[in-house]
Amino acid sequence: MTREVGRSLPRLESEAKVTGRAEYIHNLTLPGMVYGKIVRSTVAHGRIRRIDASQADRLPGVVAVITAAEVARIVQDPYYGPAFHDQPVLAVDKVHYVGDPVALVVGEDRDVLEAAADLVAVEYEELPAVFDERAAAEPGAPVIHEVIRPAATFTDLKNLKPASGSNVAMAYQLRHGDLEAGFAQADYIFEDEFHSHQVTHTPLEPIVTVAEPRGDGGLDIYTSSQSPSFVRMELARLLKWPENRIRVRTAYLGGGFGAKLYMKLEPLAAVAALLLRRPVKLSLSMEEQFYTITRHGATVRLKTGVTRDGRMVARACTIWWNGGAYADIGPRVTQKSGFTAAGPYDIPHVSIDSYAVYTNLPPAGALRGFGIPQLVWAYESQADLIAHRLGIDPWEFRWKNALRPDRPHATGTLMRDAGVLEVLQELKRLMRWDEPFDRGSGTRRRGRGIAIGLKAAITPTTSVAIVNLYGDGSCAVYSSTVDMGQGSDTVLAQLAAEVLGLDAREVRIVHPDTDVTPYDMATLGSRSTYHMGNAVLRAAEEVRHQLRAIGSEIFKCRPEEVELQDGHLVAGERRVSFKEAMEWRFGMQAGNLIGVGSFTPTYKKPDPATGESEDITTFWMVGGNGAEVEVDTETGRVTVTKLVTVGDAGKALNPGLVRTQLSGAALMQLGFTLFEEMRFEDGQVVNASLADYKLLGMRDLPSSVVAEFVEVGATHGPFGAKGIGEVGSLAVSPAVANAVFDAVGVRITSLPLTPEKVLRALKEQAGEIWEEVE
Amino acid sequence: MNAFELVRPTRLEEALEVLSEDPETVRPFGGGTALMLLMRSRLLQPRRLVSLDRVSGLDRLDLDGEGNLRVGSMVRLRDLELSATVERFCPAISRALLTLSNVRVRNVATVGGHLAHGDPHMDLPPILLALGASVVAQGPAGPRQIPLDQLYLGYYATSLQPGELITELVIPPLPEGTRGSYLKATALSADDWPMAGVAAFFRLEQGRIVEPRIAVSAATTTPVRLPAVEAALAGEAPSEALFSEAGRLAGRDLHCLSDLRGSAAYKREVVRVYVRRALQQVWAGR
Repeated sequence: MTREVGRSLPRLESEAKVTGRAEYIHNLTLPGMVYGKIVRSTVAHGRIRRIDASQADRLPGVVAVITAAEVARIVQDPYYGPAFHDQPVLAVDKVHYVGDPVALVVGEDRDVLEAAADLVAVEYEELPAVFDERAAAEPGAPVIHEVIRPAATFTDLKNLKPASGSNVAMAYQLRHGDLEAGFAQADYIFEDEFHSHQVTHTPLEPIVTVAEPRGDGGLDIYTSSQSPSFVRMELARLLKWPENRIRVRTAYLGGGFGAKLYMKLEPLAAVAALLLRRPVKLSLSMEEQFYTITRHGATVRLKTGVTRDGRMVARACTIWWNGGAYADIGPRVTQKSGFTAAGPYDIPHVSIDSYAVYTNLPPAGALRGFGIPQLVWAYESQADLIAHRLGIDPWEFRWKNALRPDRPHATGTLMRDAGVLEVLQELKRLMRWDEPFDRGSGTRRRGRGIAIGLKAAITPTTSVAIVNLYGDGSCAVYSSTVDMGQGSDTVLAQLAAEVLGLDAREVRIVHPDTDVTPYDMATLGSRSTYHMGNAVLRAAEEVRHQLRAIGSEIFKCRPEEVELQDGHLVAGERRVSFKEAMEWRFGMQAGNLIGVGSFTPTYKKPDPATGESEDITTFWMVGGNGAEVEVDTETGRVTVTKLVTVGDAGKALNPGLVRTQLSGAALMQLGFTLFEEMRFEDGQVVNASLADYKLLGMRDLPSSVVAEFVEVGATHGPFGAKGIGEVGSLAVSPAVANAVFDAVGVRITSLPLTPEKVLRALKEQAGEIWEEVE
Repeated sequence: MNAFELVRPTRLEEALEVLSEDPETVRPFGGGTALMLLMRSRLLQPRRLVSLDRVSGLDRLDLDGEGNLRVGSMVRLRDLELSATVERFCPAISRALLTLSNVRVRNVATVGGHLAHGDPHMDLPPILLALGASVVAQGPAGPRQIPLDQLYLGYYATSLQPGELITELVIPPLPEGTRGSYLKATALSADDWPMAGVAAFFRLEQGRIVEPRIAVSAATTTPVRLPAVEAALAGEAPSEALFSEAGRLAGRDLHCLSDLRGSAAYKREVVRVYVRRALQQVWAGR
């Protein structure tokens, strides 16, 4: 019987947050601190001819103007990046997109800095630029990076081979079965192309970093980062220091969604602080976030062979990822997401070609789903299209083709512990798929659609945790998992509490501080509950082991006979509190019982030629969405009236948090589906503000938002749990588009589903002429 | 945002005097909801802001002896929304306010700022234009009354002179039986700026449409009345066909602007539909 696991405990920090007491780096000020403001490129691609900072330098209140020349005094080789070392601390010789950081003005007054930034005169020799991922991948396109150097920080990225002299930074391929033979068996072949647009994370707390040089020659970094361990490692590499000279601390994050991964402002803040020998704070405005990190736009081409009775027998997928000017984690998206491009389906013959493409747009990275929503958009739109063309119910078509347990995925890895069938069934139930449906009338037509997506956990990655029992019997968990609103503090406390017989609310979670908390790969990819959860479990079990040993001495029994309950050691009728146990062990209220847990899953590197591996991922994530929509046939406006989300939680450690993660992810993706879109003119973002880049608001919420989970336990998950943070976002876009098709019979293949796009398609369908207006 | 001096005069004369110093760099400040965005994006860098919040006499909200609704320029949009006087005077105004931006903005944004900003995406100007409203402006040359159709000259351009302030909004009484509707279309989120707004008013006498007033905003550079549409409606018996024709005419005559929220062609489509729907709503008495 578990007491903590499976309990919908509200988030531990709720009260601190609603009363404004939670700690955020955004609010941090240090004595003697100065601020920095980034001067950004105004051209999309160009050589820097000259930077004249003399006017800015003379402005009262400006402490320094830093350019690549000054950076070189601290860092000789200023290039960084998690996949490729392609991003300089400040632009060296060349700029690669509008918004590329060129210089940093530093001063005490942030308002003065804005004026100072305007006074830094940069002369460019403009070069031809390319923005579209297809055009950029063509031979003859302007080459954005002449040379690309791989990083080697992460095991899973070690075999990525960058290609210099082309904008195709990396090509991943998978070959499974015999594609030609597969298409030969097909009665019908469908070829379609789908397009996803650029969107961005817009965390409410914009990206912020404070760097402070220490008296002992070290450096403290306070940063709103999802990956403190990585920041320390990469900064140490840039500075050629041992990691132990750098301390990275985070606090609560006002949202992350992938925007605050790897390094963002940290290298520039560190260099500025070391140059000026004082604390420097860099904080982006909401507007600047649009110039910092985005989600990949993507073109996905699918060729699918189907038999008359609706079995998919062959599928060729080609994907071009618009990675923007720096690779960031794009190559991982290209590979790790690329290999799932054929969907959660049992297709004997599959080929996948996935290209990471540089363009002169702001860099793209991970955003809640790591590229999977772009792929699901394509394969679930096509699944629907095929089902309709064949006259098969869209749910039946998916059910028929779904990957069943122990069947090989296209990578060759057997499907295990993946709730594809369970999610489909639950989706059907919640959508009342078998019941009659009101299809609307007149100018208001109603429709419904479903979609399902598959994601692989990024593998292999490591998490380490420490559980510390203090002299009074109270307990703390030391973990570098970052709580950015997803509730990881609560779940990790529940896991430790479960093992140690405590109430989770009594467990203290020590926030990431690389001097204190052990290594964690990062808080990303729905990995924390599974990886850090395992590490915390192991650490807590070590402490439990020590407590039982003490208990066995006190009670003169075998350790296994000692139970841990409500902060007590119990054997039969006898009980002593943890405090008494510590006193017994140390002779007074003193000492610590420390448990260390570490978790790295198994993994087998894929064959570079075929992309196949029998152990490609440590767990599969499955998420399904269903939507009911109402389409205004005269304006094209789509109103989502019901949004259903089903995720496979493995085991819901905290059902309340699982549901809010599922609905939160689904609603975020709904904004991306309906209208969120970064718009560009000549590479310049023209709606870089929340006034013109609109987020989903309260009045946009569907009147019915349903989030549920199924539990298909993960063999190696803590109590069977899997990650759930991205699962709700995977299939929202095609579910809505499929519902639009169901309502009015038009198929939109390019996101977002703006009213204008839908109306144009309706007019086209009706054979009406759309009069263009000058 | 640049540094600025904030002055808070208590008398209108004082405010006008400060504003006349240098209308380029000395700007009036009502609720600041638009001004702060302009300053934060550095499109506007005033040296001095003249806050009108302490100026007496700008908070009137009542009917005058002739039945005009008079609204002081410092009345907050939220007060307008909640006013029983406004609700009785013209329910279409109260309804429009419910979805005007959000309640946080309405709590601080002022009527004067809303009208003086000259942004065509505002919700009240098309309604007020249809109602034949005017504003009272005070400046170095003394007070004058500007009918709304003479206030808006272009995109963010008004006929207010340097140093001139809107002090009051005057809406003439609506003839008995007049009903109105304001419909807006948003292309992005529901709380986005309108992409097109349509205000429609008329009354029926012996089954015939009398004094139809149609105004369109957001899709165009300024809010505009549509006299040709009004002429086509006047004296006719309401019908679906008539309203469709009105929509068609509205689309034909309108010069729409393409922007992030939609192409000119799409906006014209939406105006066609919304003119028809607004008229249907008025007819249905909703």
